[in-house]
Amino acid sequence: MELSESVQRGLQSLADLSVFDQSGFQVLVDASFRSLLSSHADPGVLDQPEFKRIDQILLKQSHTAATTFILEAVKQNADKSTISSCLEELTFSAERIEIFYSAYQKHKKELGRLLASIGRRAPQINDVSWRLQYHTKNGQVDKVNEPFYSISLNAENEGSSEDINFTCTVEQLQDLVGKLKDAAKSVEKASQM
Amino acid sequence: MLLVLSDDHKEHLAFLPTVDTAVVGEFGRIALEFLRRGSSPKIYEGAARKLSVPVDMVQHGVEGLMFLMTESSKHMISEVDFLDSVLALGFGDELNQMLLQLYLQHHSQIRSILSQLPSNLPAYQNLEWRLDVQLASRSARQQVIPALTMRLLLTRGSDSRSDHSIRVLQADPSTLLHLISTLEAALAAMKTSHSRRILRNIK
Repeated sequence: MELSESVQRGLQSLADLSVFDQSGFQVLVDASFRSLLSSHADPGVLDQPEFKRIDQILLKQSHTAATTFILEAVKQNADKSTISSCLEELTFSAERIEIFYSAYQKHKKELGRLLASIGRRAPQINDVSWRLQYHTKNGQVDKVNEPFYSISLNAENEGSSEDINFTCTVEQLQDLVGKLKDAAKSVEKASQM
Repeated sequence: MLLVLSDDHKEHLAFLPTVDTAVVGEFGRIALEFLRRGSSPKIYEGAARKLSVPVDMVQHGVEGLMFLMTESSKHMISEVDFLDSVLALGFGDELNQMLLQLYLQHHSQIRSILSQLPSNLPAYQNLEWRLDVQLASRSARQQVIPALTMRLLLTRGSDSRSDHSIRVLQADPSTLLHLISTLEAALAAMKTSHSRRILRNIK
């Protein structure tokens, strides 16, 4: 993994026993993962009793470096040996590498999902609701007598949700379901490859 | 069921027996054309010049025919009821038969035109789909995220002047299965004895 100089420096002070004692290290690692995973980063994330004695500038640099390192590792899908060798070079003890790696393993999946969701996508369908109606007559025509469905697809796009409403006849709904089933079959086939 | 024709309507149609049956036939054709595509004043002017009658008279005659056709199609009245209804106009047998033929030949098309008028909700037209797998992005490498990308085609209004809209949507595999099972339940609702009873009894 390529890391900038400031990230390397921040990680080196995180490895330094004279800056972060054992509990301070553990708390900073946890705080770094937490600040990445909570949707609205808590401004008081560094407001911990363990950090009282630490130089605030060093603390912030280490926190920034740790979060950058975590994001880069998740982005590259880094394995244990990559992370270990990288942290070893930055003077991390075996014990600290182990603490970091177990936290990384715990949150990796969730962070990966978060990173993969960044970027433009088509609106995502969340749910569908339906109503079956019988059209008997209207202002223009008598004796229509046709059943039809009102369908509402609930879709989400960049955090805002939207309903897509349309009507369809019974035959059209059969057509729609048939096509969705075809699609589901190819998803299943693809997943077996 | 008989149609009740207003005095104005009768007066408008009274123009028909004064012209040749071929002209009435032409008016019928024009009336249907206007129902399909909307009216055009130019055609009234042309016909009025040829027949050397006022434009109003032609317009009333054609519109009277249009109204007669839409009203009888709306209620889907029987052949006998149609003839009994136009009897009130006091036309000859030949003309009555001509109107009847016009009605019988075109009522289903007129009904389909009429039935499109009140539908302002978009209607399902087609669904195209594609299976995508997201492999990598700027923020994360080595992903395997399957997603179904769909193109939903909706139409609003009649076929001739339809207003298509296309929505591109995505769903993950588990949502896709949820959609299928929910919509299958919708289709099953159609086959319940409750629905069948209603459909059978409201005719």
